[in-house]
Amino acid sequence: MPSAQDWINNPLGVVEGIFEQNNSNPEWDKKVVDFFKEKLAEKEAQSWVPSLNDVQPHYLKPNSLVKFRCMVQDMFDPEFYMGVYEVVDQTTKSKNLKCGKYKDVTECVQVDFHSRNNLPSERQTFYCVPVPGESPWVKECYARSSQARVIPSTSYTPNRQKRSYDEDDDMDTQSQRPGDTNSGRKGSADSRSNGDCKRQETEAPSSSGSSSASTPSCASPLDLYYPLPGEQGPACLVKVYEEWESFKLNDTLEVYGILSVDPALSGVGEEKEVSSLLDPEESMETAEEQRAHSPPPSLVPRLHMLHAVPLKHNNPLLPPAASEEVAAGVLSELGATRSELLAFLTHVLLGDALAAEYLLLHLISNVYARRDILPLGKFALNLSGCPQTSPYTEHLHRIIQQLVPASYRLPMSLQNMNSMRMVPRKDHVANRLVSGALQLAGNTSLFLDETQLEQGQLDTAGVRNITALGNLISWQKVDYDFNYHQMEFPCNINVLVASEGRSLLPSDCQVQLQPQVSPPSVEEYLSGVQAALAPSQINKFRLYLTVARTLEYSITEEVTKAVEEDFVEMRKDDPQSMTAEDLHRMLVVSRLLSISLGQTTLPTDVWMKTKHMELLRMSRIQQQKSVNGHEP
Amino acid sequence: MEPTGEAGAAGVQVKDDLAEKCQKLFLEFLEEFQDKTGEILYLPDAQELIRPERNTLVVSFTNIEHFNQQLATTIQEEYYRVYPFLCRAVRHFARDHGTIPPSKEFYVAFSEFPTRHKIRELTTSKIGTLTRISGQVVRTHPVHPELVSGTFLCLDCQSVIKDVEQQFTYTQPSICKNPVCANRKRFMLDTNKSRFVDFQKVRIQETQAELPRGSIPRSVEVVLRAEAVESAQAGDRCDFTGALIVVPDVAALAMAGTRAETSSRVTGKEGFDADGLQGLKALGVRELSYRLAFLACHVAPTNPRFGGKALRPEDQTAESVKNQMTVQEWEKVFEMSQDKNLYHNLCSSLFPTIHGNDEIKRGILLMLFGGVAKTTMEGTSLRGDVNVCIVGDPSTSKSQFLKHVEDFAPRAVYTSGKASSAAGLTAAVVKDEESHEFVIEAGALMLADNGVCCIDEFDKMDLKDQVAIHEAMEQQTISITKAGVKATLNARTSILAAANPIDGRYNRAKSLKQNVNMSAPIMSRFDLFFILVDECNEVTDYAIARRIVDLHARNVESVERVYSTDEIQRYILFARQFQPKITSEAQEFLVDQYKRLRQRDSSGGTAKSAWRITVRQLESMVRLSEAMARLYCSDEVQPKHVKESFRLLNKSIIRVDSPDINFDQDQEDNEDLNGQNEVMEDQHPPQNGTNGTNGHAMEAEQAGKEEPAAAKATLRMSFAEYRRVSNLLVLHMQKLEQLDEESSLKKSELINWYLGEMEGEIDSEAELVAKKSLIEKVIHRLVHYDHVIIELTSTGLKKGGEGGDEPVVEEDPYLVVNPNYILED
Repeated sequence: MPSAQDWINNPLGVVEGIFEQNNSNPEWDKKVVDFFKEKLAEKEAQSWVPSLNDVQPHYLKPNSLVKFRCMVQDMFDPEFYMGVYEVVDQTTKSKNLKCGKYKDVTECVQVDFHSRNNLPSERQTFYCVPVPGESPWVKECYARSSQARVIPSTSYTPNRQKRSYDEDDDMDTQSQRPGDTNSGRKGSADSRSNGDCKRQETEAPSSSGSSSASTPSCASPLDLYYPLPGEQGPACLVKVYEEWESFKLNDTLEVYGILSVDPALSGVGEEKEVSSLLDPEESMETAEEQRAHSPPPSLVPRLHMLHAVPLKHNNPLLPPAASEEVAAGVLSELGATRSELLAFLTHVLLGDALAAEYLLLHLISNVYARRDILPLGKFALNLSGCPQTSPYTEHLHRIIQQLVPASYRLPMSLQNMNSMRMVPRKDHVANRLVSGALQLAGNTSLFLDETQLEQGQLDTAGVRNITALGNLISWQKVDYDFNYHQMEFPCNINVLVASEGRSLLPSDCQVQLQPQVSPPSVEEYLSGVQAALAPSQINKFRLYLTVARTLEYSITEEVTKAVEEDFVEMRKDDPQSMTAEDLHRMLVVSRLLSISLGQTTLPTDVWMKTKHMELLRMSRIQQQKSVNGHEP
Repeated sequence: MEPTGEAGAAGVQVKDDLAEKCQKLFLEFLEEFQDKTGEILYLPDAQELIRPERNTLVVSFTNIEHFNQQLATTIQEEYYRVYPFLCRAVRHFARDHGTIPPSKEFYVAFSEFPTRHKIRELTTSKIGTLTRISGQVVRTHPVHPELVSGTFLCLDCQSVIKDVEQQFTYTQPSICKNPVCANRKRFMLDTNKSRFVDFQKVRIQETQAELPRGSIPRSVEVVLRAEAVESAQAGDRCDFTGALIVVPDVAALAMAGTRAETSSRVTGKEGFDADGLQGLKALGVRELSYRLAFLACHVAPTNPRFGGKALRPEDQTAESVKNQMTVQEWEKVFEMSQDKNLYHNLCSSLFPTIHGNDEIKRGILLMLFGGVAKTTMEGTSLRGDVNVCIVGDPSTSKSQFLKHVEDFAPRAVYTSGKASSAAGLTAAVVKDEESHEFVIEAGALMLADNGVCCIDEFDKMDLKDQVAIHEAMEQQTISITKAGVKATLNARTSILAAANPIDGRYNRAKSLKQNVNMSAPIMSRFDLFFILVDECNEVTDYAIARRIVDLHARNVESVERVYSTDEIQRYILFARQFQPKITSEAQEFLVDQYKRLRQRDSSGGTAKSAWRITVRQLESMVRLSEAMARLYCSDEVQPKHVKESFRLLNKSIIRVDSPDINFDQDQEDNEDLNGQNEVMEDQHPPQNGTNGTNGHAMEAEQAGKEEPAAAKATLRMSFAEYRRVSNLLVLHMQKLEQLDEESSLKKSELINWYLGEMEGEIDSEAELVAKKSLIEKVIHRLVHYDHVIIELTSTGLKKGGEGGDEPVVEEDPYLVVNPNYILED
């Protein structure tokens, strides 16, 4: 269907066509957007569009329509461009109006910059990175569903010889972060991604030296501003033309836009610093700013947004188009899935059913509202009593990674705490938001591994990092450092702290792990548990977690009364053991428990079960305390 | 839009009638505009311009508006176009009134431009017009000279070309003026004969208040010239008056030749990449995007800046604040000031999710309003900021209070005493990595200058560090002497601290001082101390449960408040401009109260006490009264304000220290009690009992509670016990009232009910008698002092069905709970 594909291969032609048809009609840009929206709404049309997440940019045809699944990492200042400009044909001297929208450069024609018909317009630039910590299964799943046929663009190859990404032969397979490569994960991508990662490590923007030889003009390699270390995939400068106020920082989007990789856009290596004495305006942007704002398009392609879909969740198994039916299917066998998942988690948690319950609740928790400063629905779990000797926590994280769309394991070693950049910081020199590990998309699972912590000295940065983690857990917000002040950004991150004893960080709920089995090799045991799981089963789990999280929930008037009376009653017995905070937590637990069972209101039996679970949990903690007390 | 941008460059050749007319009018304005005394206002300033370092004349835009509205409009609309002409007018004006070097350039700067825009509002439509924007300076570049007018030497024929106007870009003569020389490219700039102006770039960023939530603040480059350079430092919040311009200038882009020229000189070090790019550019590939910059002629600080000379508070007046508001905003503020229930409404709107603790809310509210800072005749400054400390058991929403304030107050900093050393809190001397110079880095306290510094876990702070902020609390400055740097920096902040009791839980048996790990001098710097105890009683528990379940039950994002945060912020900003004076009556009242306190203090046999009533408490009382007056937007402090501040001061301390309730004291006046007094009285209850002749009445939760009747010294109960009993009674009565609207209890019935409840604890008849008299006292107190229960004695209120009991009304009245009474923890 060559004609149907036209809007994918040559969208600019379509835009120009519409522009010319609607001669100087100001409504024309709306028509363009509508046209593409309509096209994309067609059945399966979205899967024809090649995705920047799966395909390296130089395999894509420049100026073709592509999509990009990403998180907004930074927002630049608005930019002015010529919305409409006049060109003069050299031979005929005839003047012609051209549309400057959706492109960065104009080709080889004499532009009349003084024409009265020129129309400056405003657009906004977002710096977008791939969703941080996106699980490999999500990437694979998206890549598999794509039907785009990508023909490598030959015209573009010469220019990329010196860039770091271009020798990748295997870039269409998704690689993992370096930390994951030694995992026992099954999958064909593993062996290759291992090599891939090594290469990535030496050539990744954060590492130094390697690229300086090939690109002498940049003294140090470019920072691509990935929130997490070792991330891969293209970052993009997304130019937004409509309604940019509706996008917020850290939003997850699927952007459909026109790819622009013209090498003229690179700000690096251009002669901008010269003649500042005579010509200050030339140096309106300093070299640092140039580097930060106009990185070479081969590394950071430009994307002119035609349409964007905010992603409520990043689960490829629940496509937005068919979400209703799929969700209904999940709901119909929700009870069964829940008990299967619970059994699975129980095995994973070495036979501890109670901890498995809590872990399940944690996995479906979600900040559903904010009352004033209070985030509601968050459920940060502290899994204490994790065996420290074996790499248990690492495996545990890998299993969680298999279940959720995005996650990140942060080993809380002293060195990490002291040296890692967690809180994003504004670099006023480059006028750029430098990302940190806590700049994560909504509903990302953050796995804090406190078993890695050892005794030693925390320096200032370390204390700051610990404070930031504490704030994140307690208030679900991160205070970005703007040098002269801090700015609060609300977030929605599921924090799981795995620790040996009680965590030093605050948490909503602490569960003491009580292993029922003690396999000789945790590794073998866990891979056995995973092997017993069919792929269809694990997909069911993934769907279940995503669907359960979005369920609506309320408490009826009668139950409210009962809960209140219960609380007063409990306080009568022992005011110390039941505080307002406890009630708070119990209500969160009962809410999560209800929706995990598919209940949208709180039934009394769930409330009773909550009380029972809490009682068990508290007694475990008490027990642990007394055990510790006996130890010298 | 664009034509104006071009006009600057083109204006040299093309005669611009409008601009010329403007120049004439502006000169007229300078020549004629007179101040109130009839002097020509700008003459002295113009004469100043003769001095070599001066070159800018600051003109008030409001004056132009008064002089000629049309001229003002033209300047505003066509600012960028007429600006060179206005400068020329200044030049003529200066030349007419003094001898000036002919080559000197003059500039005009406009101050007091009425409307202000947000950075976010700078759009294409604003290009070239005069606007004022405000923002925080985040980066400054070094000052360097900019070429304004160049003198060139033709390299072919050596002829000199003078006065080539430069507009942002380096512009060479298009062709040598020597008719026989066809040179178009080879010129050399003669720097000695060219004219330059100081030039500086700064970047400003949107202030937090203007920022939509969840967005990255926008920034804009500001170009400063002439005398405006170096007037803004990084971190300052400034207003910039000027115009938005497009960079690079559209016109300049067309001159591809010059660009190629400059680039060829440096390609050597750029490598092949640049060559390739240049090649493409030469082919005519052009970027279609531009950046915006703001060309500012005048800079004024919006806020006092740290370290530098500060704006006097009186620079901002209620009037100027009002002018910054829109009509609707102002109406709302006015409406609020008329609200009879303002005090309560503000409290509840400020902390909608925190249950009870009304006194703390009030205290924090008054802190936000603040007292009036004063300077004595000797030059000592007295702080106006109110400091508040909350001491409390864990999990009693202390941190929530702090977080709320941080969230709410415009310049609030939240920090934890555990995590920050004194340096983090105050100021530190650090070595700059680039310049190797020592610079002073602001700590939390200074960042919160003119705001609130919330310090959590105050007690966890090193004693050493507590001392360090001691100075800040009283002197409102921080001085550092380190690494050869000696500096005194402003830190006029209110401190809201939270502390945990020493043993984790507040021990009622001990005094406040023994409960908190804080040095006495620091403690005395807090105006208000509040104590939060996790008390256990059914009523509170119900209320808490209701609150929390409510929070979780509904899926509504919003919280109910009478006023929105924005409205309160605006109101506080406005009210803070008032500088209330203490009226003579209030003065007398203050003196009176203080005298009472002192007397009580000295006569109370409290020599051992750690807490004496000193001048500090008087100062606190004054500050709180002033804050109270501000809250009502009143210009004077009236006795009623003093009364509330006194009550609060009283309450702040005693909540827990409320000692045993003595029913044996005869003290009619229950207003003159002081909380601090109770702190140590609590420790010496026997003393109290015997020393009952003087006014040792007790203050407790619901104002004074003395029993005039009894005389037995044994008739006492602990405050907690009293609270428990009273709550029990109230609850019982409320229950009955709920069941049946019509029913009401007789006093005797209530007593009997109570004794019935207590049956299990009563062993002997004597005990029964004792209990009975005790409960009678309690009820009496509840009726007469705490006004929790109302006696229905007047016949009009009686229920018809029970009319038969009329004769005994006086002895056995009906009791109902005061409908205004709310059970609190």
